[in-house]
Amino acid sequence: MITKYHRPLLLADAIDLIAQPNTTIIAGGTAVNAGTDSTPLVAVDLQALDLSGIESDGDVVHIGATTRLQDLIDSDQIPELLRDLARREAPNTIRNVATVGGTVGTADPESELLAGLLAYGAKVTLARSGSQTEQALDDILDDPQALAGAIITTVTIDTAGVASAERTGRTPMDRPIVMAVAFHGNDGFTRLAMTGVAARPVIVDPGGITDLRPPSDFRGSSAYRRQIASVLAGRVLANSRGGE
Amino acid sequence: MTVDLTINGAAHSLECEPRETLRTVLRRAGFYSVRYGSDTGETGAAAVLVDGRLISADVMLAVQADGHEIETVEGLTEPGQMDPIQQAFIDTGAIQSGYSTPATVLAAKALLASNPDPTEDEVRDALSGILDRETGYLRPVHAVLRVAAIMRGEDPENIDVTHLDELVGGDGTHRDRDNLGAIAPRVVLSDDVPRTRVVGQPEPKTDAVKLAKGNPAFTDDIDLTGTLIAKVLYSPHAHAHILSIDDTAARALPGVHAVLHHGNVERVRYASGGQSYPNPLPYDQVSFDNKVRYVGDRVAAVAADTEEIAKAAIELLDVTYEVLPAVFDENEAIADGAPVIHDEPDMEGAEDPSRNLVHHLKADTGDIEAGIAAADRVFEQTFRVHQVQQTPIEPHIAIAAWDSDERLVITSSTQVPFHVRRMVAPLLGIPVKQIRIIKPRIGGGFGVKQEMLIEDIVGHLTIATGRPVRLELDREEEFVSSRTRHPQTITYRTGVRSDGKLLAQEMRIVANTGAYGTHGLTVQMVSGLRGLSSYNCPVKSFDCRVAYTNIPVPGAYRGYGAPQALFALEVHMDDIAEALGLDAIEFKRLNWTQVGDPLDIAQQLGEGDQDASTMPLVTSSGLEEAVLQGKRAVDWDRRNDPSWKQPEDRPNIRRGIGFAMAMHGTAIPGLDMGGASLKINDDGSFNLLVGATDLGTGSDTVLAQMAAEVVGVSTNDVIIYSSDTDMTPFDTGAYASSTTYISGMAVKRAAEQVRDQICDRAALDLGVDTSEIELHDNAAWAPDGRSVTLETIALSTLHQEGQHQIMANASYVSPESPPPYAAQFAEVEVDIETGQVTVIRLVMAVDCGVPINPVTASGQVEGGMVQALGYGHCEEMVYDDDGHMVNAAFGPYKIYRADEMPALEAILVQTMEASGPFGAKAIAEIPKDGVAPALRCAIADATGVRINDIPFTPERVWRALQDA
Repeated sequence: MITKYHRPLLLADAIDLIAQPNTTIIAGGTAVNAGTDSTPLVAVDLQALDLSGIESDGDVVHIGATTRLQDLIDSDQIPELLRDLARREAPNTIRNVATVGGTVGTADPESELLAGLLAYGAKVTLARSGSQTEQALDDILDDPQALAGAIITTVTIDTAGVASAERTGRTPMDRPIVMAVAFHGNDGFTRLAMTGVAARPVIVDPGGITDLRPPSDFRGSSAYRRQIASVLAGRVLANSRGGE
Repeated sequence: MTVDLTINGAAHSLECEPRETLRTVLRRAGFYSVRYGSDTGETGAAAVLVDGRLISADVMLAVQADGHEIETVEGLTEPGQMDPIQQAFIDTGAIQSGYSTPATVLAAKALLASNPDPTEDEVRDALSGILDRETGYLRPVHAVLRVAAIMRGEDPENIDVTHLDELVGGDGTHRDRDNLGAIAPRVVLSDDVPRTRVVGQPEPKTDAVKLAKGNPAFTDDIDLTGTLIAKVLYSPHAHAHILSIDDTAARALPGVHAVLHHGNVERVRYASGGQSYPNPLPYDQVSFDNKVRYVGDRVAAVAADTEEIAKAAIELLDVTYEVLPAVFDENEAIADGAPVIHDEPDMEGAEDPSRNLVHHLKADTGDIEAGIAAADRVFEQTFRVHQVQQTPIEPHIAIAAWDSDERLVITSSTQVPFHVRRMVAPLLGIPVKQIRIIKPRIGGGFGVKQEMLIEDIVGHLTIATGRPVRLELDREEEFVSSRTRHPQTITYRTGVRSDGKLLAQEMRIVANTGAYGTHGLTVQMVSGLRGLSSYNCPVKSFDCRVAYTNIPVPGAYRGYGAPQALFALEVHMDDIAEALGLDAIEFKRLNWTQVGDPLDIAQQLGEGDQDASTMPLVTSSGLEEAVLQGKRAVDWDRRNDPSWKQPEDRPNIRRGIGFAMAMHGTAIPGLDMGGASLKINDDGSFNLLVGATDLGTGSDTVLAQMAAEVVGVSTNDVIIYSSDTDMTPFDTGAYASSTTYISGMAVKRAAEQVRDQICDRAALDLGVDTSEIELHDNAAWAPDGRSVTLETIALSTLHQEGQHQIMANASYVSPESPPPYAAQFAEVEVDIETGQVTVIRLVMAVDCGVPINPVTASGQVEGGMVQALGYGHCEEMVYDDDGHMVNAAFGPYKIYRADEMPALEAILVQTMEASGPFGAKAIAEIPKDGVAPALRCAIADATGVRINDIPFTPERVWRALQDA
């Protein structure tokens, strides 16, 4: 429960504020504000920090952390496939305020957009007191403490390549039970990412799908998820390579 | 703290707490169009524009919006004006309950501001954040496309009623589907239907203006000074004794005004289902019990100054439970050794509580074993149908207050205000005459509000505190503590002659009524009635055991036992046809009921007081025509094209089309009663008062049309008011597909009396015989063309000569229940590698008699099909081993949104039902009946796989494919 609210104007101030105990970052706020946690929290709203915007440097695209998901969808600098994944992330009432940084920070275990960013080899720029570092998205998702004391400023992807995504869900826009996205870089390297096969969106070794131990829930048992993971991975790998 | 917002162009400085959402603050500032659907943003009922972007105001803090520009629908127009977007919503019939219409209008505004020429997909994306349980999204989407076209100066798509040619006996060379507008109501006329002026017209809804504009109209919009907020403590256990409740700390919390539980509330037995007197047994509930029987059962309630204090008080209640073993499955519950759920000595009316057996229903029309023995082939099949929730976007909400006469006024989002008044009185210990129930506009009901669910809580709390008390369920509470659809295990055994004629059909059900009986008897009676009425068969047998379990309570849900039964029946019939090598439609046609056929099982399974000496017969049926229309619309013959069924470029895809026929009832004969009162005003307009409760279906409009037809005025000359136990005549309420037929006949009869009074006066004025007078165009006309206006007659009778109030009351109860019929088609694609079923198209051609309003009738079919699609395809209430629902939120509980919909088409096939008002039969529930079986038969057509459990989720279908 938010009991105090800050809207810092400077990144340094924001970093100082989140160093205090019991703070929470509000990028778009859709996840934080939907929470039912009754712990008193101090909100640090990033909206005034000017972290929004999309810039291209050749095939490399830098996405500001408070870029809204809708802005991704509307940007012709973002590959079509990622725009579609952003659209699938949430309905428009949410993605008009939810942000790319917030998507990374809240790390929804079934986020298709995160899987897409993983496949595109996303790197995340983190600002801390006096330092700026870049970390692979995969490492951040792996480490619950990776974002401690940090503010995400940019998510960077290299778009030189072909990508393909496939999913299985109850309905066309449902959060998929399993989703696979493959990116085949112009350098010949292929990266496969999936949701629904682990506790978070993960990069998967195309040869290791049968070793996956997916979680079970009412929408799909572990065994079923493993089976369709193979099917979907096979499709996206073929599609992304076929697109060369 | 203070936030500075520009709201609809005006600067506002508003006080708020940092935790408060933009929705809360906007509503407190009087912007009532911003509505509650949940706390997590996914319903979109609270969507507003922030700097021109559509955003769910329930997941944005007011402080986040500080300094920004907010637009709500209140800012679109002044009173008396209408924005073109709102007008398009009205013109297309895009508004049903209207609860989320303001948000949808804003979505359109935001889209059109940036994209004046959107595609349908772009419109659907723009509406993707606003869940709609009513319209199926078809009309809202086309409302946006329409206004976009108009704003571009182009001709919008045709939305006029389109008459399709009759296909039965036709020559097959029809061009009537060319250039058919997507939402133009399709009507197949019947030439025995008398001509009418107002009835049969696509009149705009009488409540459309207030709904389109977001005016305060719902229970939540009532703001009484000093209102306390109620919260309920729900059981965390599926089955437990409450050993003690220590409420000391809760009572001591400043701001808490009352804490109620079994220790301080009188124990009065009741059944919560909103039904006619005497309520069906068992009486197995009390306001607060010393035992809980499901996760979500009531334990205690508090009233406090604020929601936060009320929640804190709930947390402070110290309850000691003795947790008991629980049982969730209906078959296990009635087996030996199951935990006994109702062991209290004062419960009344269950068959055998010691075995969790609530009812054991039996009916037959002959010796089933002899019938089976005489058959050439016998087929037996068992089905499991699951539990789903109605999920109106407006949850249950009620406000109680003492009025100045010290009578208790409860404003409630209820389908059954008169039942609630009668049922709540003994619980509160005050007489019926001291209670007034007001039903304002309702944001969807679908049966879940055919219940006296929370009115006793606010009543008790107002009595305890002397203050107004408001209770609104949050979304999770709506899922687990309100009402749901009954799960059933259904077995059919059918004996068939070698030529395909049915000889004997047995239906056995074990039904799950959860922790309480409520609608447990009557829903299952309807299952038997509907499950054994569609087809002629000399011997029919029904055996149904209704079990208590520890799941959240099933109750009334649109369809009321029929969707369960007709899923099993239609699938069973389809599979018999397959086994016999017959075409499924031809096999069904060989057996389905036609005009003149007996409704034999109805004599035993009808609820009301019926004349047992008279066999009810089918009096009208448009089924043959409906089947032909539906086959044509869905392009049925593609089933025979291998290249369509197995597309070459998509090797993992199989396509199929399925059919199901549906037959429903129209009201409960001999029981459902509606009343109406009509009076003339000075200007020749009329007030129509009805107890019928419009849930958003358009029933107020339909009733006003009927009155207008009879007294010769326009629909907008009839001001309808529903419903208020102090002000309007009695009506059983909105259920059992009864309003158009029963309340409509009451309106028609009242209007005919008023017409006669008008004609008497006009005859005197015009010097002709009363029988020669005709009413139309707001005047009474003599055969020679002279006329006197209704205004003149009104002014004269009210003020001048032979003064009296021209008015009449009437009521109606029907001796029969003429069945509407429908042909439902579903087209699917199945991914045979993953089991994913994608629904491409749903077509329903329905015979509802004469549709009084083809737009609202089409809307009922479109929206009903989508709810039914959820039942068959993706919705399910899921529990962990301890009985906690694991998906009590939209998303995990999946209902369709605007950007993932199959194509929808409703076709209205007229028949003249002589017993109905202007030829009408029911339409509200039959759209729920056919989709799940049609979907199942489509999957079978596509893949050969035949699945007997719903919903058809990917893993279920995949497993069936693996097993095949």
